[in-house]
Amino acid sequence: MKKLSEKTLNKSFLSWFYGNLTCFSQEHMQTFGYLCAMLPIVEELYETKEQKKEAMQTYTAFFNTEPQIGALVVGMTAGLEEAKANGQPIDGEAINGIRAGLMGPLAGIGDSMIVGTLIPILLGIGLGLSGGGSPLGAIFYIIVWNLLMWFGMRFVYFKGYDLGGKAVEVLVGEQAQAIRDSIIMIGTIVIGAVAASWININTSLVLPGGAELQKTLNGIYPKMLSALTVMFCWWLMTKKNISPTMVMLLLVVIAFVGVLIGFFNPGLTY
Amino acid sequence: MEINALQAALLGLFACLSSMPGLGGTTFGNYTLGRPLVAGLVVGLILGDVQSGIIIGAAIQVIYIALVTPGGTVSADVRAVSYIGIPLAICAVKGIGLDPATTQAQAMAAALGAAVGTLGTVLFYGTATMNLVWQHIGWKAVEKGDFGKLYLVDMGLPWISHILFSFLPTFIITMSGAGMVDVMKAYLPMDGITMKTLFTVGSLLPAVGVAILLKQVAKKAVDFITFLFGFTLAACLGLNLIASAIIGSFFAVINYKVIMAQNKRVVAGANAGDDEEDI
Repeated sequence: MKKLSEKTLNKSFLSWFYGNLTCFSQEHMQTFGYLCAMLPIVEELYETKEQKKEAMQTYTAFFNTEPQIGALVVGMTAGLEEAKANGQPIDGEAINGIRAGLMGPLAGIGDSMIVGTLIPILLGIGLGLSGGGSPLGAIFYIIVWNLLMWFGMRFVYFKGYDLGGKAVEVLVGEQAQAIRDSIIMIGTIVIGAVAASWININTSLVLPGGAELQKTLNGIYPKMLSALTVMFCWWLMTKKNISPTMVMLLLVVIAFVGVLIGFFNPGLTY
Repeated sequence: MEINALQAALLGLFACLSSMPGLGGTTFGNYTLGRPLVAGLVVGLILGDVQSGIIIGAAIQVIYIALVTPGGTVSADVRAVSYIGIPLAICAVKGIGLDPATTQAQAMAAALGAAVGTLGTVLFYGTATMNLVWQHIGWKAVEKGDFGKLYLVDMGLPWISHILFSFLPTFIITMSGAGMVDVMKAYLPMDGITMKTLFTVGSLLPAVGVAILLKQVAKKAVDFITFLFGFTLAACLGLNLIASAIIGSFFAVINYKVIMAQNKRVVAGANAGDDEEDI
């Protein structure tokens, strides 16, 4: 009965933690990171060069997901490879089927939860701590983010190794769905506060009769122009399928026209 | 403000570490060193002005608060934003004589950062394309069973791609960037249309960053209520981000309990239905 040592699993985890995207290309995104992470596992489980070659062949297939939550898949395959080496009825094809099936869903969860929610929350708090140029916010982000990811990725890697195929339930079960939904809620509220604190869109237009439009707008809802601009950009991207780069270019045009008609005026001199 | 060769070289090194397929790794490279807020600290330390670095970095951070790169499609390059855009913005803001803490300086930084970031996607595709060469060496090694080479392919050889597409562009552009400000001052008067537009664009751009993020969480107009709730906390009540996060967490806990209670009812309801069928 072969059993992977703690040392080998740690080596495999470290390879993935550092090297998952270092040799990225459009053709084979995380494939080489995956090969490096599986190498210590294969080296320990198999004796002959031919066996090792055959086992490594499995992991030459294309792989790409959100790499941080993707540590779960690497851990799972470490467990499955161990089972395979012990003669259980699993072959390379089955392992690759599981890998390919998980790539997409995990990328969706990782992109929305980690990159789309956790990072903005941490950065939002970091921005709040940066008032007046204080380095506290950046230091907060560096420490909290790296600790969360180091322990989080270790947790899902070893969870994947222990549970094998059952690990998926941890991420897609009913309770996990409710937690995700709630965390996204915190993220949306924080991002609203970030928008109000950091977007400053003001008009310099003076209405006929001498009233300043900006003051009138503030009376209706403070920072109304900022909120409306965000919603306008969201509408262009979501409902009209315009790319972010095109939206930015459109804003250049709007700014130019706005300056010409006197709606915008930063009012600066050298 | 001048950037000397040593400072430019350090900026180049951090560009190698921080890009999307960067050599600092995903977590510590791309998602830590590559974030403009962190880069503001790093660039500030390198250039000897941490305060300006942080203020400028934070202003640019808002645009890129949710830079998701699904399937390796990149709309802005973080190494360019962080280690070319931030140093140039610091030089420009100081060269013009603006106080970095003003909204105008931040608008200028945002406009410059976004322009550099969009153009910088060239560097991303350059690096990724050159990595194909190393991967080719890797495939040969796998065929022969020469597995030790895999580490070299994954973690060693990409340095060559980065020297060409991260280090050199950063080094050259930041070294020559300081002179750019004088040209700008000579040819573009502050009360002219060009500069007025530049500053206005800078004030509008953070809205795009926030909208990119909302695109993922808000599918219908009604989802905006949650966003506007947070917006109102800060805009009308004047709460800071930490206070808003705490209030957000309170509502998230309620939300979680409601969903779980609903789930239980659904299960109970389903069981009741089964009983009736049995009868």
